[in-house]
Amino acid sequence: MLSNYVLALLLAFVLLGCEQQQPPGAVPHLSVWAHAGQAAERKVLEKQVQRFNVQQDDLRLDLTFIPERTYNAQVQAAAIAGDLPDLLELDGPYIANYAWQGHLVTLDDLLSRAIRADLLPSIVAQGTYRDRLYGVGAFDSGLALYARRDVLDQAEIRIPQHPRGAWTRDEFDALLLSLRDSDEDGAVLDLKLNYPDEWFSYAFSPLIQSAGGDLVRRDDYQSAQGALNSRGAVLAMTALQGWMQQGLVDPNLDDAAFVSGRVALSWAGHWDYPRYKDALGDALALVPLPDFGKGTRTGQGSWVWSITRKCSDPEGAVRFVEFLLQPAEILAITETNGAVPATRSAIALSPAYREGGPLHLFVTQLAEGYAVPRPQTPAYPVISSAFRRAFADIRSGAPVRQVLDDAVVLIDQDIRDNQGYAPVEDP
Amino acid sequence: MTDSIQRRSGPLFAAPALLGLVVFVAVPFALAVVLAFTNLRLGSPLPTEFVGAEQFRRIFAEPAFVRALLNNTLFALVVVPLQTLLALALALLLHQRLKGRAFFRTLFFAPVVFPLSLVAVVWVLIYAPGPEGMMNGFLRAVTFGAWIPRDFLRDPVLALPAIMLTSIWQGAGFQMVILLAGLQGIPGELYEAAAMDGAGRWGQFQHVTLPQLRNTLSFTVLVTSILAFRLFDQVQIMTRGGPRNATTTVMFEAVQASFGRQQVAKGAAMTVVLFLVVLAITGVQRWVARQGREVG
Repeated sequence: MLSNYVLALLLAFVLLGCEQQQPPGAVPHLSVWAHAGQAAERKVLEKQVQRFNVQQDDLRLDLTFIPERTYNAQVQAAAIAGDLPDLLELDGPYIANYAWQGHLVTLDDLLSRAIRADLLPSIVAQGTYRDRLYGVGAFDSGLALYARRDVLDQAEIRIPQHPRGAWTRDEFDALLLSLRDSDEDGAVLDLKLNYPDEWFSYAFSPLIQSAGGDLVRRDDYQSAQGALNSRGAVLAMTALQGWMQQGLVDPNLDDAAFVSGRVALSWAGHWDYPRYKDALGDALALVPLPDFGKGTRTGQGSWVWSITRKCSDPEGAVRFVEFLLQPAEILAITETNGAVPATRSAIALSPAYREGGPLHLFVTQLAEGYAVPRPQTPAYPVISSAFRRAFADIRSGAPVRQVLDDAVVLIDQDIRDNQGYAPVEDP
Repeated sequence: MTDSIQRRSGPLFAAPALLGLVVFVAVPFALAVVLAFTNLRLGSPLPTEFVGAEQFRRIFAEPAFVRALLNNTLFALVVVPLQTLLALALALLLHQRLKGRAFFRTLFFAPVVFPLSLVAVVWVLIYAPGPEGMMNGFLRAVTFGAWIPRDFLRDPVLALPAIMLTSIWQGAGFQMVILLAGLQGIPGELYEAAAMDGAGRWGQFQHVTLPQLRNTLSFTVLVTSILAFRLFDQVQIMTRGGPRNATTTVMFEAVQASFGRQQVAKGAAMTVVLFLVVLAITGVQRWVARQGREVG
């Protein structure tokens, strides 16, 4: 905790230092904040900024990294203090909140049409709030089941190739039980229960959506009533609770349940592919999440770039975003972080994600409507917080329907308190 | 002349500290009280309005917050006496001329130096579910295999005791050091005199050590009670208030409301309640201590 404050202080000094160094009449500088991801990812972004700066003679970018775990809290604090940078990286589902607060400019008139048309539909969907685009990312994320092909073959379980052929609910229940029979500790499924906070909304709301429920009603985002406590949601969460209570799910404290062979199935994101591939080689299969009635659904959304309202040169800022969306630059970052490239032209050049590539399933899910963006409403932080708590309660055996009803009350009260999150006129 | 200089220099010397108190304690607290009566939301473009006691009505209607108050109280009732007794026992033990005394003092004080977050993470691993978990393994060994492995941190009954144990392990060393200092301050003549009067070891402890340690003990009890009501780090890292609010605390709820759900006013109302509780405890303890002194 303390180290964060020290870091923030240091950061403040660095920023102050930068501002003072700038001589009058020099090339305009734009400040850029990004989340500090893996070291390799940071290095790529630093190089990208350098390359961009070399190309431009009338613009320079100053890049600052902010620790990932406290990123949103720090950006929110800066927003309140009126100290946002010109260009900002945001976690996808938070866009609506920042846009509603009036901190972002829309990219609709800024981003070139050719690039926009090239984007995966999921990127546009997550970046849109009230029909306007406020953020685009260079990559998207994907969620699927990783499976041990040899174990499934031995149990004579079919391996779906396409989201259309996803395992049905009955099939999935049956295969968990049949896998258990030949498993040492009876736990055959990894749900990444070791992950923090946002994972739960990201990973398990798709199951609710597949069963016909949702986190919130998407027609007007005014209530979670009949969505988060709908029959579908109760069904999905009851199934999850059942798996956990029957001991089918590995608690996975060491994050090694799948690679060490304790489980045959891992409910995980695209980012685990390199590690899993190294451990399993050709025995690794990628399978869509189970279909609970309305077709399989999957998570999506990742870090996106947004331009703030205080940006002195939005055209210049969007030039950087467009620079990052060139196929070569997209691949530079996605080959480092393993994420799904954001444009079709970059996907075609990616050995892992192009047609026939081992991770093409993620592209199919994102491009063919199997991915659902997390609710694009300013209420999202509250929704996610309520759902996370509900999940924890359900995990420890609480009655599902009641827990979900309580979460609905919490969410609806927040929406009412904020007058329905109606658009606020410019201050 | 010198009198007037002294009269003036006194406040002058106190000024920096007073300024610090005002800026960092009084003003934020006054702000929290004011905010608790509004509907302020973090970053909201909507205007902030006064809503009277609405936030207080809401938090007391929230099962999670009521449970948090209860948990804090239960935590204090269990941890304060146990931790104080343990610390006193350790202090008495290490006050004697043992071989390797410095080593043991360092050993027992070490957990205090570790960051709480680190301690919490280590204890999460100790409480790991399944037979491979260290605590499960230990209990299995001492019960000759009768213990059935439990998921301590997700067990509605065991989660809070698990956090209590971690806290006692972490906090006892601090109290021990303070009590040691208190023990060292007791003049040896008192013991000699007591021995002359025929007091045994128990008699000496009862009639010399305890009365002499009164102030030190009441200080450690007070500090531990306040820390018990501020319980946060362990909960945040080990259980996130779960399962089903079994380990949630007032601080945890306040942070969740303010930063997780951006409801700053609600968080402020919770901290005001917390402040009043701590104030009441301090008052009661001072009163008890004064009563004791008057009698003694």
